[in-house]
Amino acid sequence: MKLSRVRRKERIGERFVLLELEESGIAAQAKPGQFVMVRPFQEVFDPLLARPFAVLRTQGDSFTLLFEVTGRGTALLARAEPGDVLSVLGPLGRGFSLDASSGVLIAGGRGIVPLVFLALEFLKRTIPSLFFVGVRERKELALLRVLEGIPEVFWSCEEKVAGGFCGTVLDLVRRHLDAVFKSDAKVYACGPEGMLRKLKEIFSGREEKVEVSLETRMGCGFGVCLGCAVPKKGGGYWHVCSDGPVFKLSEVML
Amino acid sequence: MKLSVHLGRLMLQNPIVLASGTCGYGREMQPYLNLNDFGAITVKGLSLLPCEGNPPPRIWEVRAGILNSIGLENKGVGRFLEEDLPFLENLSTRIFVNIWGRTVDEYVAVARELDKIARIDALELNLSCPNVEKGGASFVADLEELRKLVRGVRAATGKFLIAKLGPQVRDWEATVTLLEEEGIEALSVTNSFPALALDVERMSFIFALKTAGLSGPAIKPLALRMVYELVGITGLPIIGMGGITTADDALEFLLVGARAVGIGTANLVDPSSAMRILEGMQQYLMRKGITDIEEIIGRVR
Repeated sequence: MKLSRVRRKERIGERFVLLELEESGIAAQAKPGQFVMVRPFQEVFDPLLARPFAVLRTQGDSFTLLFEVTGRGTALLARAEPGDVLSVLGPLGRGFSLDASSGVLIAGGRGIVPLVFLALEFLKRTIPSLFFVGVRERKELALLRVLEGIPEVFWSCEEKVAGGFCGTVLDLVRRHLDAVFKSDAKVYACGPEGMLRKLKEIFSGREEKVEVSLETRMGCGFGVCLGCAVPKKGGGYWHVCSDGPVFKLSEVML
Repeated sequence: MKLSVHLGRLMLQNPIVLASGTCGYGREMQPYLNLNDFGAITVKGLSLLPCEGNPPPRIWEVRAGILNSIGLENKGVGRFLEEDLPFLENLSTRIFVNIWGRTVDEYVAVARELDKIARIDALELNLSCPNVEKGGASFVADLEELRKLVRGVRAATGKFLIAKLGPQVRDWEATVTLLEEEGIEALSVTNSFPALALDVERMSFIFALKTAGLSGPAIKPLALRMVYELVGITGLPIIGMGGITTADDALEFLLVGARAVGIGTANLVDPSSAMRILEGMQQYLMRKGITDIEEIIGRVR
């Protein structure tokens, strides 16, 4: 693992924390959809395992993570302040394919993170994209701040909020399906498992052109513990850390 | 400073062994460690045919430890020899291969296949995986079955033979005597501890098989005690393992008489852990003015 200094910290809404970390190797190599393993502080063995986080973006010699505080590991990490040193490993895993002529990005909640990195890469490559993002509650709308600079963003909230679509992100996508199908775009999605499962209905017959980034419990993050198994279509298992975290929708059983 | 240790007829350049199941087939560790820096690397448990392992979830974190229910997933001997052996053949460190089967015949068949490969230095018989219904730990429950198994494997290979034991062993003295009689040359002690975890929100077990194996710092004092006791009842060299996370942890195992130490879960926490532990051990020896690591083995009895 490498040591990495926290350069900047920002709280986003009630539950999200953004950390910019200095590590030129990761910043130079990370591709959209890849992740890093982070240990909150050295010599802390409880919690024991590092936590996997998708990269939000890279800039110069640093990279940025955005995570939701959901348990003990993320709560400890949320205590990190600028100047603190964390242990990081990465970039890890296989990211999104970047060979699309156009992209439709679908994010649910914190699934926004790897897709922001992808949208920025598309922007750099002048690949047109539509970005659909949905949150459950009004207070999660703060997440939309990380979409700054990304064109063609559509958002939804399951609570009624002025200016946005009321419903799930997939309800929102359904309203734009004609545009999605006409463009023959590649679809990229990340979000709760239930959301990804429903993609199979919406994109039935087109699963080959849908890439999903999966989130799961990981032990090591680099393919030795085999703890992050997900069922493979046709039998057996994929390992999210080394075979993924990005898979074609046609390859996985959700 | 002399760091080399003898495990019976086998010499290791230093006492650090990467434990089975925590360093893959070797190649996966290459970006993070120079594998030639260590005494040995133990390839994850191989069976004759590929095994897909247990359904998820397979891993669950507890205080200072993890529960795993991987279920011995592996690619099988054939694919290992084809895909991974060429990489391992370029290493100078010792190569141990952990093996298992559901029957005596399967263990023997795996041993026979690997016996043909000159580069493999030792076979480690997995007699202690708590996460499969048949094979692994089930053999130590019946000493006659165990005798058949070890005798069969011993007849199939001339390689250095290690038995990996876990806390499921009922009668340590009888078991170890049997293993010595049948030609086992060293012991790896211990494997993970059978343990349990529940999801209180869902009011359910975490794992499909209910129990899983506990490893990590949480088990270190238990493992250390096992090694301490075993050193007192057998002359077989012991590779002590169980929750070793720091150089001091490793030194404790050597001080009670282990001749080598296995680094396991720590490899998952940070793949460069083994180097940190080795360097810490060297610093300790320097600080104490000890020039030969043999001087500390068994010093605290």
